Order: sequence, then C-alpha cells, then structure tokens
Amino acid sequence: MATAMPADVRPAEQEQGEEQDIEPAVKRVPPQAGQQPNYSFYVEPFKLEERPRRFLEAFAAILRQSNYGPVLDTYCRVGAKCSVCTASCPVYQVTHDPSDIPCNRSELLLKVYRRYFTLAGNLKSRLFDYFRLTNEHINTLTESVWRCTACKRCKYSCPMGIDHALVTHLARWILAEIGIVPKALVVSVRQQLEGQTHNTSGIPVPALKDTCEFLEEELEEVYPGAGISFPFDVEGCEYVFFPAVSDYLMEADTLMGNAAMLHATGTSWTIGTGNFDGIDYGLFYSDAMWERIIKAQVAEVHRLGGKSMLIGECGHASRSAKEGMAYFIPPEDQVPVVNIMELAYEKFRAGQLILIPDAIEERTTYHDPCNIARKGWIIEQPRAILRHICQDFVEMEPHGCDNYCCGGGGGMVSIDEIREFRTLVGGKTKAEQIKATGAHYVVTPCANCKKQIDEVIKDHGLPQVRTGLHDLMLKAIVLPNGQEPILQEEED
Amino acid sequence: MPVEQWLEWTRGPLFRFALAVMVLGLIRLVVLNGINLISLVRHSYDKKMPVGVVARDTLRWLFPFTRVPASQRFFTLVSVAFHLCIIIVPIFLAGHILLWQRGLGLSWPAMHQTLADYMTLFAIATGLLLFGKRVSTHLTRSLSRVQDYLLPLIIVTTFASGYLAVHPAVNPAGYDATMLVHALSGDLVLILIPFSKLSHMLLLPISHLVSELGWHLVPEAGTRVARALGKEGEPV
Ligand code: SF4
Ligand code: SF4
Repeated sequence: MATAMPADVRPAEQEQGEEQDIEPAVKRVPPQAGQQPNYSFYVEPFKLEERPRRFLEAFAAILRQSNYGPVLDTYCRVGAKCSVCTASCPVYQVTHDPSDIPCNRSELLLKVYRRYFTLAGNLKSRLFDYFRLTNEHINTLTESVWRCTACKRCKYSCPMGIDHALVTHLARWILAEIGIVPKALVVSVRQQLEGQTHNTSGIPVPALKDTCEFLEEELEEVYPGAGISFPFDVEGCEYVFFPAVSDYLMEADTLMGNAAMLHATGTSWTIGTGNFDGIDYGLFYSDAMWERIIKAQVAEVHRLGGKSMLIGECGHASRSAKEGMAYFIPPEDQVPVVNIMELAYEKFRAGQLILIPDAIEERTTYHDPCNIARKGWIIEQPRAILRHICQDFVEMEPHGCDNYCCGGGGGMVSIDEIREFRTLVGGKTKAEQIKATGAHYVVTPCANCKKQIDEVIKDHGLPQVRTGLHDLMLKAIVLPNGQEPILQEEED
Repeated sequence: MPVEQWLEWTRGPLFRFALAVMVLGLIRLVVLNGINLISLVRHSYDKKMPVGVVARDTLRWLFPFTRVPASQRFFTLVSVAFHLCIIIVPIFLAGHILLWQRGLGLSWPAMHQTLADYMTLFAIATGLLLFGKRVSTHLTRSLSRVQDYLLPLIIVTTFASGYLAVHPAVNPAGYDATMLVHALSGDLVLILIPFSKLSHMLLLPISHLVSELGWHLVPEAGTRVARALGKEGEPV
C-alpha cells in the first residue's frame, strides 16, 4: 500500500525482525545499554535516555488535556477478568499466548496508570514498592499494542464493555510522543502533512492527472463515447472525493467503478488538487496527527466550496473522517462524511443507479472492514448491491458487526516487515473463513483490507481472487442512456 | 463472649456498619463517576449521550445468546444464573426481610422459601463452577488476581452457611456457629462491594457509557500536549 517502501530505502543498520515463531509470542534479545531495542517493526532512531520518565510525562500531559483519564479510571475498577474476550480476539485465538489476551494487554497500561496516577497506587507503591515503570515494561507494551489490530471484537464480547482498542489507541499515542512509532506510519504522515504533495504516497498532482487521464481512456473502452471523467478542482460540487490515495497506484478498477457510478448517477463531484488523500494514519497512533490530517482534508472541502466529503472504498479513511469530523472540527465547519458505498446504495435504492442483475456468475463473498462494520455503520448497503449483481453471493461466518478482522487493521497492514505475523497469525482466521466460502471473488471495500487479503490469499495459498465492490459494479453499471459495459478481459 | 452475643453483634452493629460502608462507598463511586462522565462530555464537541446504545449493550448480558463466542456460551449462562441468584435471594428472602422489618420497619414481598432454597443451591453450584473454571486453565489463571479467587469463595461461603443454618437436618455444625459464619461473610461481602470488582453491580452501565464517550476525543488536545512537552512546531 501507500507506505510500502522499496527495499533500498530501508536503513541498512535496521535488521529484519526476528524469525516469527508463532507459539509462544516472539521473545526478543534484550538490547545492550545505549542500544535501540530491536522491535519487530522498524522504528526511526529515538532518544533512549530516561524513557520511563519521558513516558510518564507524555502520559500525564495526555491525561490532562484529553478524555482518557476517566476511561482508565473506570476500566481499573470494573475489569472482571472473566476471560470471555479471549474467545473473540483473532490474535489470541492463534497464539494462545496469555500476553495476547485483550484484558492482559490493556493491563500493561492500566498498571502504569494505577501506579502513577491514582492515590491508591501511589500509596501502595510507597508501602510495598510494588511496580515501577522500566524500559523493559515500555518495550513489552510497545510490542503488545502493535500486535493488536484495534478491531474491537473484544469490546463487544466483554460484559463490562471494556474497549481494548481504545486502550491500545491511547498507549500508541503515548509511545509516539516518545518517538516509538512504526516507521512505515510516521513516514507516510510526514509526507502527508509536511511533504510537497500532501499525500501519503507522495504522488505529485501532474502524476495524479496522468493517472486519471489513463483511467478515462480505459473507461472509454468500457463505455465508448460516454466521456466518463475525473473532474479536478470544480468549485461548488456536492462531493469532494477522498479515496485512499494508494487506489491511484494500485486499484484502477475500483476508481473506474467509482467514476462510472458517479457518472451514471449524475452526481456532482470533484477531486481537489490541494488534498486528495483520504488516508489518516493518525487514527492508528496519535490523536494529534489525526486532528491535523482531518483539518487539512476539511480545509480542502471548504476551499472548493464542496458540500460533503466523499470517502472512497476505505474503512479506516471513512471512520477517521466521520469520527474525526465530529471530534476535531468545530460544529460550524463540519460537513457530512459519506462513504461511496452509502452513496451508491442510496442511488441504487432510489432507482437512479441501474445495475445489471446477476452480472457476476462466479461465487462471491464479502469481507466487512472492521472500521465501518463493527458499530453497524455499513453492512447492508454493499450486500444489497452484491445480492443484486451476483448470481451466487455467500456470507462468511461470522460476518457483519461480528466479522473477523483481516489481520491488517490498526495500521498493521502498512508495516511490511511484520507480514508473517499479519498473514499467519492475525489473518489466519480470515484465511479459514475465506476458504470455507468456496467463493471465487472476495469483495472488500477497503484499501487496507485489500492489501492484507491479497497477502493472506498468497501466504495461505488460497485460490480466491480479491476485488473491490466498485470493481465488480463496473461490470454491471448501466448508464442512463441504456449503455451497458463492454466487459474487459480479466488479467491476473 | 458467647456465640449468641457475637451473632447479635454481627447482625446488629457490624451489619449496620457494613451496610453504611457499602452505601457510602457506592455513593462515592456514583459521584466520582458522575464527575468523570461530565468531564467526558464537557470537553468534546459531541455532547449527545448514547443512551440507547449503552442500554442495549448492557442489557444484552442478561440474554447472552448473541455476540457471545460459542465456546463461552455455557459459562456465560452459568455466570448470568449465578448473578441473578446472588442478587435476588438476599433481597427477597423472608428471613432477611424480617430483619429489616425489626430494625428499620421496612418491608416488601418475600419470595417463596422453596424457590429461595433452590436458588441458593443453584448459586452455590454455579459459584463453584465459576471458581473451578478459573483455577482449571492456564488462560484463566494468567488473568486472575487475588480478589478473583477470593470473592467467589466468600460468596459461596455466605450462601452455603445460610442454607445450612435454615436446614438443621443437613447441618453438621450448630445453628449459632453456622449463622455466625453466614453473617460475618455476608457483612464482608457488603464491605467489599465498593472496593473490589463487585462494584460492577453499579458500574456496569457506566462502564459501557464510558467506553462510548471515551471516544469523544477532545479537540486541540494534541496541540496542547505538544505544548506541554515542549514539542510545539516540531516536524512530524
Ligand atoms: S481489538 Fe481485536 S486484536 Fe485487539 S485485543 Fe481486541 S480482539 Fe484482539
Ligand atoms: S471480557 Fe472484559 S472483563 Fe472479561 S477478561 Fe475480557 S476484558 Fe476482562
């Protein structure tokens, strides 16, 4: 995906993560004094001195300025240690390592909170010297929170409603403040916020326009004479379009399907050349970055006088925009956030989007991206379309809001050096689910899931073909003048 | 002091003390959590209380058939049965209501004694099952703290001694001694409620609410954190 760095850009002194042994979890060689710990993912050099003190300073500052204190307070009180969540965590299910139990993972941070930020913990430590934050503890926490895909499955099986993804989210932010972030993520965010191109893949505007021209030519072959286009910088549109920018590099069919759908429904939309990347990795490691990125995106919508933000096929981009809009943008500046599948479904239901029924012969299944499905936001919309255009649509079990993460959630998919962990541990259950459907197509409308499922399919030697929703719709969209698509040869 | 006097003491002053500790402790938790909840909504743009979602997520646990992983279904049902028994029996037991009436003049309808007997036995059985589960696997042991082992045992002791006290036929010990154990352990449970995980009897819906509101992130928090850490304006 966006952050896949060519091998030669990687710093030579950082070695490949150790061989992944799955059971028990990776045990690491303790670093020598003054040496950067050897995490399972690359981290840019960070300051080694006084890490515990700086960790606590960052923790304290975040607690003071944010809402996390009350949450940790409550979680410290109610944790029932009942173990129900173990049966729902895809990582623990494969490793069976106690340190991968959601409740134990959160405990790593709660312990620090209790010791340093509650009266009882303070007293207890004075009397018994019971816990002290050490470099080792920080290292354990680091590995642990980057083994969680923040898929939130555990939250919905915990009777207490403890949201371990929220604890993971906070722990990653604190760690980021002392410089411990997977390099893949931070490099992308730097490119997006401070680079010349303002997008995670570093695509310059001329290259973007070239790509879109090429896609227009391709679309001309599917719908000759229709003139389906990718409009740039049109002011006053209904929708300003933000796909995951990596789609421009790797998901031509998804984008062509997007453009065809928007054209067929007569939707007014545009791509802003000031900011055209829906990716927001702040969601994965820092509220500070999340806020800066969503603000830059919203500023582009306002620059163009657009009415809504239209997010492409991407789960985390959709959630980070929708929630980020609500959290970080002052109400007077907020605009609606719409996922492109919601729009397609709405037009389909209103009869404004005509799709050829049963256009897809092969058996098709659908993987729900956690970020849009877990809370029930987008589950039925794509299915209604798929049931219409597919002759044989089958479900994975479980699916919808109980789905299993692809194993690449929470930013993990961008970290190439942990691929084995992602596909063989995090993605194992998903591989089994996919296999059990016997489907030809696995549809998933998310840039993260697309890359991860490609790799899961490959690493597990599965026969399935991964695709996006609009990729399939491109074979079924009928233009208002009755023009049907000329099917292209599938290259694979 | 003879046993009867001890018994009077545990049922009188000690019970009142335990009850006061429980009530005051719970009030303290309500106040603290109230403050927490207010601060959660105060700082964020989104001030809506997701009451519907929280009610659904909380009540779902009384009917643990959906969204509970199949492998956990049996013990989840056991756990729900255990919870129902240990809440209902102490409140609606005729013998307990009598004590309330004598002490404070309060009274409410009692449950049938046979039903109470069965529910007590059920509470003991499910409590032991849950304890057994906790000690039996590496997984659950790795999760458990001291209170996780002790609380179910204390609760089972309370119910077992209560049952024996009212069924002299099966009781190998004398009434007074059994009752003393019952009253002491019962008082202990009351005292422990606000200070242990037992507080979830009150905090359960609050915890669900906090999990929702916790995501109402605070605008500008990132900037202020950077300022506090002297990192303002630093490149990413
Ligand atoms: S969020 Fe997902 S990966 Fe993380 S602990 Fe929960 S179930 Fe496991
Ligand atoms: S389900 Fe909730 S209370 Fe139970 S062990 Fe997991 S996190 Fe802890």
